[in-house]
Amino acid sequence: MRKRTKITIDPKYILIFVAVICIIMIVVSFRFEEKMTPVRSAVGSVVTPMQRGVNAIGTKISDQMEYVTTVKKLVKENNKLQKELDEMSVENKLLQQDKYELQNFRELYDLDEQYNGYPKVAARVISSNPDNWFNTFTIDKGSDDGIAVDMNVMAGDGLVGIVTKVSKSYAVVRSIIDDDSNIYGTFLKTDDSCIVSGNLQLMNEGVIEVSGVSNKAQVEDGYEVVTSQISDKYLPGILIGYAKDMQMDSSNLTQTGHLTPAADFSGLDMVLVITEVKNSKELKEMLE
Amino acid sequence: MKRYISMFLLLIVCFILQTTLFQYLKIASVIPNLILVVTAISGLMYGRRLGMFTGVMCGLLVDLLYASVIGLNIMFYMIIGYANGSANKLYFKEDYMIPFAAIAASDLIYGSLYYICNFLLRGRLHFFFYFRSVMIPEMIYTLLIGIFIYLFVKWLDRWIDPPVEVPLKTKKSFEE
Repeated sequence: MRKRTKITIDPKYILIFVAVICIIMIVVSFRFEEKMTPVRSAVGSVVTPMQRGVNAIGTKISDQMEYVTTVKKLVKENNKLQKELDEMSVENKLLQQDKYELQNFRELYDLDEQYNGYPKVAARVISSNPDNWFNTFTIDKGSDDGIAVDMNVMAGDGLVGIVTKVSKSYAVVRSIIDDDSNIYGTFLKTDDSCIVSGNLQLMNEGVIEVSGVSNKAQVEDGYEVVTSQISDKYLPGILIGYAKDMQMDSSNLTQTGHLTPAADFSGLDMVLVITEVKNSKELKEMLE
Repeated sequence: MKRYISMFLLLIVCFILQTTLFQYLKIASVIPNLILVVTAISGLMYGRRLGMFTGVMCGLLVDLLYASVIGLNIMFYMIIGYANGSANKLYFKEDYMIPFAAIAASDLIYGSLYYICNFLLRGRLHFFFYFRSVMIPEMIYTLLIGIFIYLFVKWLDRWIDPPVEVPLKTKKSFEE
């Protein structure tokens, strides 16, 4: 027979007790976020290696499934792409000539090349947020590989997100489609500033939100939005996406619209982390 | 004690599967909430104490690894573990309706709590949109996977505590 413990506390009181501790912890962890990092990384260093292993299986399965379902699609796509390629190669030659010219001009004006100049590190996505509400994911590079908080993350040529937490061997990235994300952007063609914010509701349609565009701005669908100079965490000139259905607000002061992200979020596997943090300290000091 | 350890291990396995493998098996762009199933089932089968224990462990894992604030998920999962533990009296092994109803209800309650604390307070008011596009699909998918987890836990329970055969009184008197 099992012995019964002599002191038994009604679970009701345990519930209340732990709930109070939780509320205290919410406040404490909100106020002193840095102090919690050792605890987080201790748990992370146990769980992440396992996740990395299981994730490899997941990638294999999804590859197999994709292989089966998309053969027909691929044939069609291949024909289409072949046509496109022919057109592109002609266009490319023209562009190459232009590029040569442009390079000369750039040298003349002593302009830095845009984000070719940023140092980058490739990382693999190993796990994602366990719930369906927010869009954060973990990558397999951490502070040992030179990753730091606030570094920008890209995939292909578009912005994906920003590093929010760093541990020794892994880092957490908040993507730009996350409901919590807000970025200062600029329209490349017209230099009008805007705010790009993630939105769970709009993400089902494959777009996010653009707001705060001046009413005088002449913005059309398909205009590129890049990260702005005045953003204090995002490096300038990284492509975020393309504007879509811009509309005047009812106040007639600003315009809002949607934005199609340039990066593909459906099958995020490899990402590039820009190992340069925007240094806004100098700017702040100047302003002060 | 055995039950605590077995639930903890099952929880870790489910957490890892949920964050990795099931990300590739999304249906209607949602993933099933396996750790919620473990919390609900452990509460329902073994009572309030174990439900709360599993809930706190779930919340700790989620909060420490993914959330920006520690404590919120602990509270959600703990409340769900406790609520399911309170329904322990309704549970008996042969009935399948009650565990499934409990899993579905738990998922909806978790979704609502999450929506209130993380979305409503930030001014996202379209409750029905979130209800339709996140909570309902998640509930259905969770329930589907939950059936298998429930059967597994039942099997695990028999394996850890094999039922003791109690000889019938009549037989005893017969032998005497």
